[in-house]
Amino acid sequence: MADSHPMIELRHLHRFFGDTRAVDDVSFAVQPGQVFGYIGPNGAGKTTSMRILATLDLPTAGDATVDGFSVVNDPDRVRRRLGFMPDYFGTYPNVNVREYLDFFARAYQMHGDKRADAVERVMDFTGLDVLADKPTDGLSKGMKQRLCLGRALIHDPGVLVLDEPAAGLDPRARIEVRRMIRTLADDGKAILISSHILTELAEICDVVGIIERGKLLAMGSVEEIQQIGQQKAATGDGATNAVNVRVLGGATALGQWLAEQAGVSQLNVNGEAATFLHAGDLEAEADLLRSMIEAGFRVVAFGSKQQTLEDVFMQVTEGLVQ
Amino acid sequence: MSAEAELPQIEDAAEPASLGRWLATVDRAMGAASDRLNSILVKETRQALKSRQFTITFGLLLFCGWIWSILGVAIIGPDIWHGAHGHDMFFGYYVILAFPLLVIVPFGAFRSLAGEQEDRTYELMSITTLNPRQIVRGKLGSAALQMLVYLSAISPCLAFTYMLRGIDVMTILFIIFYLALASMALSVIALLAGTLTSEKHWQVVLSVLLIAGLLYAFGMSFFFAAVTLSELHSVFRDAEFWQANAAVVTGYVSYFMLLFYAAASQLTFSSDNRSTRLRVVMVAQYVAFVGWMGWVWIWPGRGDVDVAWVFLMFVAFHWYAMGALMTGESPELSPRVKRQLPQSFLGRVFLTWFNPGPGTGYLLAVSSLLSALVLVTIAVAAADWFSLSFFTRWSARGTESILPFGVLALSYVTFYLGIGLLLIRFLRRFAYVGILLAALLHVLLVLLGFGIPLIIHLMSPSLRGTDYNLLHLTDPFWSLVYLVDRPGLPAYAPVLLTVVPLAALLVFVLNLPGVVREVRHVRIARPKRVADEDAALAAAKAPPPQPVRTSPWD
Repeated sequence: MADSHPMIELRHLHRFFGDTRAVDDVSFAVQPGQVFGYIGPNGAGKTTSMRILATLDLPTAGDATVDGFSVVNDPDRVRRRLGFMPDYFGTYPNVNVREYLDFFARAYQMHGDKRADAVERVMDFTGLDVLADKPTDGLSKGMKQRLCLGRALIHDPGVLVLDEPAAGLDPRARIEVRRMIRTLADDGKAILISSHILTELAEICDVVGIIERGKLLAMGSVEEIQQIGQQKAATGDGATNAVNVRVLGGATALGQWLAEQAGVSQLNVNGEAATFLHAGDLEAEADLLRSMIEAGFRVVAFGSKQQTLEDVFMQVTEGLVQ
Repeated sequence: MSAEAELPQIEDAAEPASLGRWLATVDRAMGAASDRLNSILVKETRQALKSRQFTITFGLLLFCGWIWSILGVAIIGPDIWHGAHGHDMFFGYYVILAFPLLVIVPFGAFRSLAGEQEDRTYELMSITTLNPRQIVRGKLGSAALQMLVYLSAISPCLAFTYMLRGIDVMTILFIIFYLALASMALSVIALLAGTLTSEKHWQVVLSVLLIAGLLYAFGMSFFFAAVTLSELHSVFRDAEFWQANAAVVTGYVSYFMLLFYAAASQLTFSSDNRSTRLRVVMVAQYVAFVGWMGWVWIWPGRGDVDVAWVFLMFVAFHWYAMGALMTGESPELSPRVKRQLPQSFLGRVFLTWFNPGPGTGYLLAVSSLLSALVLVTIAVAAADWFSLSFFTRWSARGTESILPFGVLALSYVTFYLGIGLLLIRFLRRFAYVGILLAALLHVLLVLLGFGIPLIIHLMSPSLRGTDYNLLHLTDPFWSLVYLVDRPGLPAYAPVLLTVVPLAALLVFVLNLPGVVREVRHVRIARPKRVADEDAALAAAKAPPPQPVRTSPWD
């Protein structure tokens, strides 16, 4: 029986630049058809890990594999299976879209009709067919992003590593890129994607990993990650929850009452509603509600805001850079 | 409309259709042909055809060619009808052609690679399935194509010079051939320079140095062309002239290959083998040199001792330079490299020295130089013992000092390379030492060995003005010259021939543990995943099984 292996696997990956630990003992795996969202502040080590996966850099220790092949020892086999979209465009002057894609198809040893079909397929998928004869250096940012995605897809790789694919795009272009990524994942490709726009990742990722200062701090499905956030809040790790309250008869008096309560901050009163941050666990939140009712306020709605990926990210990371 | 009137319309419509089919066939054929071309060559040709730089250079070349045609003819005046002025006109065209070939094309090759590193398109290219040799070949191919385009633009002018008399076809071809060789050599040097760094400030420094070097080569090429035009046409019938040219071309090809593989190895992934191909070229180069020198010694030189001097000096310099680069390699072998190590007993004995590593590099350099000394010894023995009438007898000076010279040269190379290697190993405990830094350390060591005694000699009132003395023991140049500067062995020869070889032996022994560690590397098995894929690929490539004959009637 053939060995089953994840399409992407990082095993205790380390990458040091002098004293800086850019990647520090990172391990995770991505299965076919899975989208892995890689989240972290600038300088967290996302791009370094991705460059190692793309065979552009070597790890100091540990290894990474693509379809079972080591990026250190079999980079040629990895390159045949991996499409990399870095956070820069890499376009050539005096080359149009078709010629650009044709060059990369040739570089992947594709010949004749197979090459022509690949170029057409990619232009069709990325919507670049209408710009086939336009010079690459004259494309808009969104179109360049599509071109870069097209280049990464030209040899139909089973693994895609996308570094900030939606950075700097307008909302429409972002939605289109997101759709394309989901389509590719549904097609069976394993995708590792990093982004700063966390809401975006929450929508398309099956698994999310949060990295900071080279260390993987949390990993799991979006729901699991949100639970981690809730648990952190519940255990009172110095966490604060955003609370919304609605009372009948106007919230001005409630605002004054809340201002005197411990753990309440960033109070905002608007008509019958008040929003504020409350430091403390769920028990403390329940006590606050009981006190509010006992004080005579006619509460019709009281609720903690649902933890978003962004909230969890802010809770898990410390915002430190190396 | 009548049926007769429609017929010609059908024929007219059929004609463009057949033309279209024909064009489609040509297009397919061209497409199939371009599949065989290097992808970088195809891309760069497309880019060049649209680039302003190429258009301007090509336009200027044509313009200058026309201007010189008019100006030259005007200067020559009516004498053009009966004089032989092709030679003067040719020199003008040569200058016009040499500038793009010796400056623009090589610098374009450098910028092409350096620009890819600046724009980071190189990274995108490097993660395709193109290997580093294909990348360098593509860039070189692009340079060669540009060279051919410029050459074809000026070729009518060159034909014109032949019609003016005063220059023969052989001279024109000879000069243009060497100009093309020089253009390609400078392009491969420029490409190697382009691989040396991706740091912008170093690229600026390299650009300045490269432009200065290219302009110098451009200037020197005038001298070559002038000498060829004025003197060489008389020796074209001389067989020895062509033999010498064959030797020059052999040397050219070997150094071209060395530079080509050096550029490719600079672009090779760190965990891959960057050294073995280069070592094979170094040895091939050495063997070619041995062959040419052997031929020169036997045939035109007729056993002339000077051939042996030239041979030993060149080989010592060659292996010192190559050794300085090889000893800068990393002693660690990646599992990828270990998978390809020689495994059989004979393979390990003879091919281990081609494995990457500073110790194996040191031993390859020393043993190759030793083999040169053995060859010279055999030559001396052949001349002396068999008293071959074919050879002229070695002079007393030659037999007495050629072997001591060889021993001393070998000892100096062994000593300096060995000391350098020990120093590099020591420094690597604290910091990263790359190949270039290692080579610089070697050069610095020799400069110190040569410079410190010289400074003491010049600054000391008692020593200043005196001849060689043992203070210069560390100076390989003066010591070697001193040994052979007069008939018979000089006074300090016994000391030199004792101390330097002993020091070399000591340094060699000190380096042995490091060499042994590298020799102990053995081949490791491929990972299962790799073996499985290789097996699957081999099975896919294997011919389909032949049907088994089960019946005599089949």
